[in-house]
Order: sequence, then C-alpha cells, then structure tokens
Amino acid sequence: MRRDHFERVLSAPTRIDWFEAITENFMVDGGKPRDVLSRVRERYPVVLHGVSLSIGSTDPLNEDYLAALKELAGRVQPAWVSDHLCWAGVGGHYAHDLLPLPYTEEALAHVVARVHRVQERLGRAIALENVSSYVSYRQSTMPEWEFLAEVARRSGCGILLDVNNIYVSARNHGFDARAYIDGVPVDTVWQFHLAGHSDKGDFLLDTHDHPVCDPVWDLYAHAVRRFGPVSTLIEWDDHIPTFERLEEESERARAIATGVVAGGAAVVAGGAAVA
Amino acid sequence: MSAPPRLRDDQDLFWGLIAAPEGVRQGLEALVGRGAARPDDLDALIVGDERLSSFDRLDIYANMYFFRLLDCLKEDYPRLLEALGPARFHNLVTDYLLVHPSSHPSLRYVGTHLADFLAGHALEREGPGLADLACLEWARADIFDAADARPLTRADIAALPQDEAGDVRLALVPACRLLRLAHDAPRAWRDLKERADGRAAAAGATGAAGAATGEGAACAHDDSGHAEPLPRLARRPTAARVWRHGFAVHHRSIDDDEIDSLEGLRAGDPLGVIAQRLSAGRTPERATARLGALLQGWIEDGLIAAAPTE
Repeated sequence: MRRDHFERVLSAPTRIDWFEAITENFMVDGGKPRDVLSRVRERYPVVLHGVSLSIGSTDPLNEDYLAALKELAGRVQPAWVSDHLCWAGVGGHYAHDLLPLPYTEEALAHVVARVHRVQERLGRAIALENVSSYVSYRQSTMPEWEFLAEVARRSGCGILLDVNNIYVSARNHGFDARAYIDGVPVDTVWQFHLAGHSDKGDFLLDTHDHPVCDPVWDLYAHAVRRFGPVSTLIEWDDHIPTFERLEEESERARAIATGVVAGGAAVVAGGAAVA
Repeated sequence: MSAPPRLRDDQDLFWGLIAAPEGVRQGLEALVGRGAARPDDLDALIVGDERLSSFDRLDIYANMYFFRLLDCLKEDYPRLLEALGPARFHNLVTDYLLVHPSSHPSLRYVGTHLADFLAGHALEREGPGLADLACLEWARADIFDAADARPLTRADIAALPQDEAGDVRLALVPACRLLRLAHDAPRAWRDLKERADGRAAAAGATGAAGAATGEGAACAHDDSGHAEPLPRLARRPTAARVWRHGFAVHHRSIDDDEIDSLEGLRAGDPLGVIAQRLSAGRTPERATARLGALLQGWIEDGLIAAAPTE
C-alpha cells in the first residue's frame, strides 16, 4: 500500500487479503507512518519486508538495526519477517540497494552463519528473497538457485521467491528462468513477489513501475504448479496505479493460482506493499 | 565471526566503484592511481559480454546508487532544490555524498548533515543563508516521524494548582525543534514555495494548452547551465519553531521572548523562572500576561507536554 492509497485502504473494505510493510520505513518513533501501519494491522495481516539487513555484507551485523527490527516485529506481530539475499553496503555505509553476492562456498558459509545469528536474535525464522541483478561474478561456482536453496537448507530460513527478479536476472545473464524455479526446493518457499520492470534495450531494469508482463505471469503459473498456492504480493514502487488497478492485478494472480492448483484450492494471494 | 577476506576485498572494490562520483571507469582509474587497485581488477571480478562490459554493468549500480539518494534528498529539501535549480542541487549532492555517504540502514537519515555541509560549501558563499534554509527544511523532515506525545490542553493547564504555578515544569513535545538562524530562512521558504507553486500552476495551464500544440511547460531552471541567480536571503537573526500538530508539520518565525521561553521550558526551567525572564522591562503583571499569551499559543499548536517524572 502506497501513500496515495492510505485513505482508500483504511476507509472501506478492499479485495486485498494482506499487506507487506517495508521494515525500515516503520522503524520510527511516531507520526503518520506508525499510525497508518497500526491501523492497517488492525484490519489485515501484515508481513515485514526489509531492505537493509545486509545479510551478505562483510561488515558486522548491525545490532541496533536488529534491536529495532525485533521491537517492530513485537509491535506489529507480522505473519513473517523477510529481507533479501544480498549485501547493502560495506565499511559502515549503505547503498540503499540490493547488491548481489558471488555464488561461492565462502559466501555461502558467511551468509548461513549470519542467518543463524539473525534468527537467534529475532527468535524466529526469516525468509530471504532472490534479488534481480545486473552483474555476475567470475568466481561464482554454482548457479544462483543452488546458492539460494543451500542457504535455506543449511540455515532453516524460508524463501521469498520473486518471480519477476528471476525473469529479469535470467534475461540479463542468459540463464533459463524455469530451471531456476525447478531448482528451488518445494517446501522452502513462503511467499511470491510479482512486479513490473523496464526494458532498457541491453538489459532489463527491475523498476517496479510497470504492470506485470505476460512472460512473468507465465513464469508465475509455472511457479504455482511447482510450489502450490503460496501467498503472492504485487509490488509497485513508482508510477503508482490506482488502487483499483492494483486490486485487478492481485485478482489476476489469484485467478492464475486458483486455475493452476488442482481442485481449485484456496489461494492466499493478493497482497500489496505498504511503503 | 570474521569476514571472509576475499569477499571483503570484492565488496570494498564494488563499493568504491559504484560510489565514485564520475562513474565506474574513472573510479577505477582513481583507485589504480592511488595504488589501491589494478587496471584489470574489475574484469577479474565481473563477467562482461558482447551486450554489456563489466564497466557498463557496474555503472547500472553506480547510477542507481546516486539517483536513489538524490531523489531522497530532493524530497527532504524541496525549497533548497527550488533555490539552487536541478543542476546545482545535483552537484551539491555529488559533493555531499563524497563526504557523507549514508551510514544508516534507513534512507530517511541520508540528509542529516546537509545543512552543516552546505555551511562550508562554495554555494553558501555564493548565496549566503542557503545553509539556514537547509537547516529549516531538515527540521521539518526530522519531526515528521518523531515520537508521539499527548499535548497538554487548556484544561490540563487550568487544573494546575494556582498557588504553585511558578514551580510547574512543562516540556516540549518530541516533534518540536527550535532554531536560531542568521538569515530569514522562513521568509525564503515561503517565497520559494510560492514560486514553485506558481510555476506548477502555470505548467498545468501551459500543459493543457501544450497538449494541443505539443509544447512543454516553461521551467525556472534548466540543466544547460543557465540557472537563475541564487535567491538572496535577508541577513537578520531569525528564531523559528518547527512542530508537528497531529500529522501536519508547521514552522513559524518567533520573537526573542518566545524562543527564550521555549528554550527555558526545554531546559526544565519552572514557569516562575520563565516569567521572571520575561519581566525584564515589563511590570510583573505584563510579564505574567505575556507568558499567558505564549502558553495559550503553545497549547493551541500542541507544543506542550507534561514534564517527564523524575
């Protein structure tokens, strides 16, 4: 849910089942952000989705950040807490971006040890999301999906599978997006993300400012066939559409999932992000 | 838990190149010049292909890094942006981020040091008072999500024991800042807002006509180097309070009596001491009346909270 949608969401019922809150935007002492989140939480389930855990950074884990995250989670009681499989800065600085890791045994051991620390500190398992990327490292020794699956297997964390990010990275690096999905263990995926991107000619940019494109919808259907009816959220960060347009995209995800899953099982689809 | 050394080196290089102000290629050349990298380090780190070289690929991150922070600072400093124009604001942010890269997990704090930085920047010499304008804008941004507190009402004040009123200590709500500035930044803030609003309105009208003619709206600043002259902020000592009432952020210029009294209140002075300070050059009755008037304004604006219990 974006600022433009606050009044709409809080004033009348919606066709959205749950909302995702960007963790860092609500690690504040008061004011409108806290008020809106608490009022949304009174009406809907909420998950917390962070961008600055920096689980892959070689800086020490930020203990102040973890304390604030634990406090926020205690207050909001989210269905789950997630962040990204990436690094967000180094040397005490933050890029406010999701920077990819090399897929090596060294990086794997580093990330797994830190996920254990975070989960212990928070007293709960977390989910990590695959990021879209524009670089690949010469030293990588395994495909991204194997790295992601191994992090989940060794640390016990869940996976937030961003279908659009898989599509964007597959186009940027020339791998098979379906092979990625087929390489992720079925029982590890807690949530899907869907979003739009921009075609820059030589590469795709993960801008979250367009509707979900047809190839990503097709990939989503493939993911639902593999993982079943997993909670699905549509992300928009820029050129925010009307709330009704967002509801339509959410319903499309629900319809695809319902159509794909044998017997039309109930689908926990249709989330939207709280900025 | 020690960091894997190779991963650390790779992240240091990656960061050094995306944060370089003139792009990845120049960033690498600068590192090589300082003996901190070798010319082939980037190609050894990142895979390039016929579509995009390793430099092109890392430049995507470099651009996202800068423009995300630039956009955030534009939101926090809209009047400074209006005063400087896009090109000078862009250059200021480039200089600023070299000295003050973000050091907080939340983007919300990236502008924390901009007013102090600007005070020592060449732009402040060219347009004195811009740092005061930035100081006012940061105070507005900073209280947006400051802690909530129940402001005292007229009934709360009336319920105070009248014979002990002089001993009463009150507090400011957390979402309140007091500023002492060397320039009339509140006036400049208002003028710049009117200018921006006027241009937006004109652009709306021109846009409606331009939709038919295919012409765009006029802009006060352009990016070709023909920026407007910097606004001249009046150089006069100016006190201001910035506060949040409900969820709305306000600011107002205030006189010496008011800022002295609010600073005293914030420092824990009892009302009697504040009234005594106001009595300089006034009869006791007029000093009490002045304090009453100030208190009434503070209560109406939601500025006053109960003092923390010891």
